[in-house]
Amino acid sequence: MKIELKNMRHVYPTGDEALKGIDLVIEGTEPVAIIGQNGAGKTTIVKHFNGILRPTTGDVLINGESIANRSTASWSKEVGYVFQNPDDQLFLESVQKEFEFGPQRIGMPEKEIRERMEWVSELVGLKEKLDLHPFDLTSTEKKFCTIGAIIMMNPNALIFDEPTCGQDVEGNLRLRRIISELKEKGKLCITISHDMKFVVDNFKRVVVMCKGKVLLDGKTEEVFSQVETLKQSFVTPPPITKVAQGAGLKETVFTTEAFIEAFEACRKG
Amino acid sequence: MGKVVLEVKDFSFRYRQTKRKALKNVSFQVEEGSFFCIIGANGSGKSTLCNALVGLIPHYFVGKMSGEVHVGDLKVEDSTIAQLSAEIGLVFQNPFNQLSYTAGTVAEELAYGLGNRGVSREVMKEKVEYVSRLMRIDHIIHKNPLELSGGQVQRVAFGSTFIMEPKILVLDECTTQLDPLGSEEIFDIVKSLNQKGITVIMVDHEMERVARCADKILVLDAGEVAAIDTPQNIFRDPEMLKHHIGIPDYVKVCQALKEKGYTRREAEIMEEPAIELVKEALTG
Repeated sequence: MKIELKNMRHVYPTGDEALKGIDLVIEGTEPVAIIGQNGAGKTTIVKHFNGILRPTTGDVLINGESIANRSTASWSKEVGYVFQNPDDQLFLESVQKEFEFGPQRIGMPEKEIRERMEWVSELVGLKEKLDLHPFDLTSTEKKFCTIGAIIMMNPNALIFDEPTCGQDVEGNLRLRRIISELKEKGKLCITISHDMKFVVDNFKRVVVMCKGKVLLDGKTEEVFSQVETLKQSFVTPPPITKVAQGAGLKETVFTTEAFIEAFEACRKG
Repeated sequence: MGKVVLEVKDFSFRYRQTKRKALKNVSFQVEEGSFFCIIGANGSGKSTLCNALVGLIPHYFVGKMSGEVHVGDLKVEDSTIAQLSAEIGLVFQNPFNQLSYTAGTVAEELAYGLGNRGVSREVMKEKVEYVSRLMRIDHIIHKNPLELSGGQVQRVAFGSTFIMEPKILVLDECTTQLDPLGSEEIFDIVKSLNQKGITVIMVDHEMERVARCADKILVLDAGEVAAIDTPQNIFRDPEMLKHHIGIPDYVKVCQALKEKGYTRREAEIMEEPAIELVKEALTG
């Protein structure tokens, strides 16, 4: 899977220029996180990856083909987008129907739908709740319902828009399993998140957006070591990283083990 | 011990149509002017407890209830929501559930509760202006609440609770729609209100923030009180992890240093002291 943005701008009908010239390539199966302040353009950029939004100028290429060539419905088979607000996505009377709807629309055989249902409902933790009305789910279960509905369609790339919001320890672990299992199956996962702990735990590549542009793009360690540049985008590194930086440790660390290693190196040096 | 402004006595609640009790024999007290945090996994009963404190249980949600909640001099069960609203106000977890859906503009939304209370137009105008500036929504005051972003609606929801000037503010994960900077802005406002004497009861998943703000923490696990204690005692106790709560990263780092013998100090629960501890361990 390859998503390529070429000098891409997006201007909303209101005249707001949400994206101001983006060049970005996302390729392969390594999960990518997109971070930045509210209004930085994160949701606007990912809505171009399956044609929900179209660039005002510039181009978006999916596996080399211009997004302009096909309809959003057609691109949705390639790239699935999970909405930020579950209520924008859910509309049927049971979890099972939400899971069946997309696959049936793209003509997936019933047998395959049933097999995927087994796996997906287990993965997102709703196996026992397939008969429930989505409105009877808790807010976090609703989120997992929307994620499940998109995984059901078996796209090659999946976009999660703020999946961490309102999640507890267990919810974050479940998201972690979902992302790693999708990677194992050769899928590309692109995730927008405000939760820096979640970002450093799950992503090796981070794209930082600021005021409609890509401010930083690179390995997670490299991105979070650039404290001064990050300040422009009002992104602060996760707590453990800040303690290491505050105490003068040289490495950018995200885990307790890495912290101790950096601490011991600094103590000797 | 200071004056008790809120007391929950042996409170249990089961929603209609569910088998499991959402809350079981919950008892605790909150002191005037304190910052009281409630933590626990999703489904542990945090939002139900918030609903019980402000009277949505039993006045709005139907179910089987026992025990008592007292807010100031009012017994919640025997008081009207209007009476309670002068004492205690809730900012909802999902701000869209809080909107009146009758107001055409943000200004009307903010004034909605005041209108019900019979406040004069001039006073109303003054208060709306003050609160909209405080919440940084003065530039969208004439917009329709339904046209706003999630973060903006959250600010409106907070403003429409705060404008009622309750003595106790209950915040149920009230910044989930905001980015880190926006959340910090809201918490700065909450902290300054607390410093002015308003009692704050807050539900939050962000343990670093809980550690920084709370005087006392209540840990809920499957509807029961697992512990009530200071942030230090809660987060330094390894037993607490079995209640499915997170602990601040600072504690993990400090404890790892202690295990390795680099420090003898008790774990710090906040950023600055943790940095000091690490620096001391580096030179020690």
